[in-house]
Amino acid sequence: MSAFDEFDQERQAIDSLLLQGYTVTGIFEDLDGARVRFIPSEPAGEPVELLLLTADARKHVTTLIFGGSKPASPIGTHT
Amino acid sequence: MADLSIDFAGIKSPNPFWLASAPPTNTGYQVQRAFEAGWGGAVWKTLGEPVINTSSRFAAVHFGGQRVAGFNNIELITDRPLEVNLKEIYETKKRFPNNTIIASLMVEPKQEKWHEIVKRVEAVGVDGLELNFGCPHGMAERGMGAASGQQPDLVQAQTAWVKEVATTPVIVKMTPNITDITVVARHAVKGGADAISLINTINSLAGVDIHSWNTIPNVGGQGAHGGYCGPAVKPIALSMVAECARDRAVGVPISGIGGISTWQDVVEFMLMGSTGIQVCTAVMHHGFRIVEEMIDGLNNYLDEKGLASVMELVGKSVPKYSNWGDLDLNYKVVARINEDNCINCNKCHIACEDASHQCIDMLTNAEGKAILQVREEDCVGCNLCSIVCPADGAIDMVALDSGVAPMTWNQRNQVISGLNGSYSEAEVG
Ligand SMILES: Cc1cc2nc3c(=O)[nH]c(=O)nc-3n(C[C@H](O)[C@H](O)[C@H](O)COP(=O)(O)O)c2cc1C
Ligand code: SF4
Ligand code: SF4
Repeated sequence: MSAFDEFDQERQAIDSLLLQGYTVTGIFEDLDGARVRFIPSEPAGEPVELLLLTADARKHVTTLIFGGSKPASPIGTHT
Repeated sequence: MADLSIDFAGIKSPNPFWLASAPPTNTGYQVQRAFEAGWGGAVWKTLGEPVINTSSRFAAVHFGGQRVAGFNNIELITDRPLEVNLKEIYETKKRFPNNTIIASLMVEPKQEKWHEIVKRVEAVGVDGLELNFGCPHGMAERGMGAASGQQPDLVQAQTAWVKEVATTPVIVKMTPNITDITVVARHAVKGGADAISLINTINSLAGVDIHSWNTIPNVGGQGAHGGYCGPAVKPIALSMVAECARDRAVGVPISGIGGISTWQDVVEFMLMGSTGIQVCTAVMHHGFRIVEEMIDGLNNYLDEKGLASVMELVGKSVPKYSNWGDLDLNYKVVARINEDNCINCNKCHIACEDASHQCIDMLTNAEGKAILQVREEDCVGCNLCSIVCPADGAIDMVALDSGVAPMTWNQRNQVISGLNGSYSEAEVG
């Protein structure tokens, strides 16, 4: 799989959680990548954790938080 | 024609081109010929207690067809008596009152020794003093040169001793053989330096003769580490100049030295914060007359840019030099191959396959011709393919609009620590 496809899978996972109303509440980076913790909007829901392996996905998630932007716009791609 | 004159820490010079303290500034005869050729200033070959040099003493690194890509020497300071040098400095200054003469000095780290030499050289009318805390060999073993220059406190103390008696501006010339050049530069300024100059030569061994097994150079079969200079050291010198230029605690004019051989090099050093420059190896290689081309080139460049004075260049690129942590992680460039200019040598493909991100595909176009194409989404914009490409205009590095706000590594870390503040790792895991 190309590096872009690996990133794209992880990005879709991030974006889909955000679109479902999850918010990122913690990012822990270690030798294996970044563990990103999401909590759902409804209090009863279960938190979810994603392990991000690609550099672009790790950048993507922080860019969204930093820029306050919506998850729709892909990063690092062009048409 | 633009005004090429500079004011370097109060020292006036008709142009920014100075000869560095080295063999080309060994005698009055040479410096006078250099001034006739157009050099604006000369830093006299370092004065001190006369030494005895070895034979041989120079070596060069020729690379890929270029002679003297790098130069190495185990020469020491002047081997001529101080009185002889002073007489020639006096005569040269009298004949060329508008040219700049700086006396380079090196003595033991003793206050009275510094006082004595400063008074004697200033008496013959030099425009400034340059303290040589950089020579990495020979003198360093005696506690001078780089041995002093690697001890910030000693640089500060010796500079202060010089300032106690000096009436002309004091330039501290620094060694690159140190971890953080700004530490020494700051101490020089604390000691009262009016300016700094960098770099002196870098510790080096030019080579080993694989037939005789002797070092290059060797003195009767024995070698020692020497100082490296010439075009090969320019990037190191430029970064050290940049580090000092952006450091507010340094804040004094800089004379840039190291691998300068063209007017373009001069422009680069000045943009990166040098108020003037010094040249050694290029003159040893090509002679004094290279300055003519440098003057012409600089003049044309300034005219093209619409600049009235060379001083307008000084430091213009310094704000563009920062820390890795402040670079935009969201900035994105990709390689684009231009079929019209490509000669199908495949070097880019090999480089990307073996050393980068395997994103240059070998395809066949509609006419059945073999072409190379970059899968842009996988390209990390590392530049490697364009670096190895031998055909001009065959690869462009193109900036793409990532459509998102810039974000630096430092900002990213702030985001992460802001988020994680309320959680412990265990809670999340
Ligand atoms: C043979 C030789 C002798 C040198 N002698 C001195 C010296 O006496 N004093 C000094 O400050 N620097 C000395 N240098 C260092 C130069 O002044 C200069 O800092 C260095 O060569 C880097 O500039 P370049 O790349 O233009 O040669 C010498 C360099 C060479 C090659
Ligand atoms: S810039 Fe780097 S990653 Fe992109 S095609 Fe060239 S070598 Fe490959
Ligand atoms: S290295 Fe340059 S010339 Fe060679 S194949 Fe690649 S683009 Fe073409």
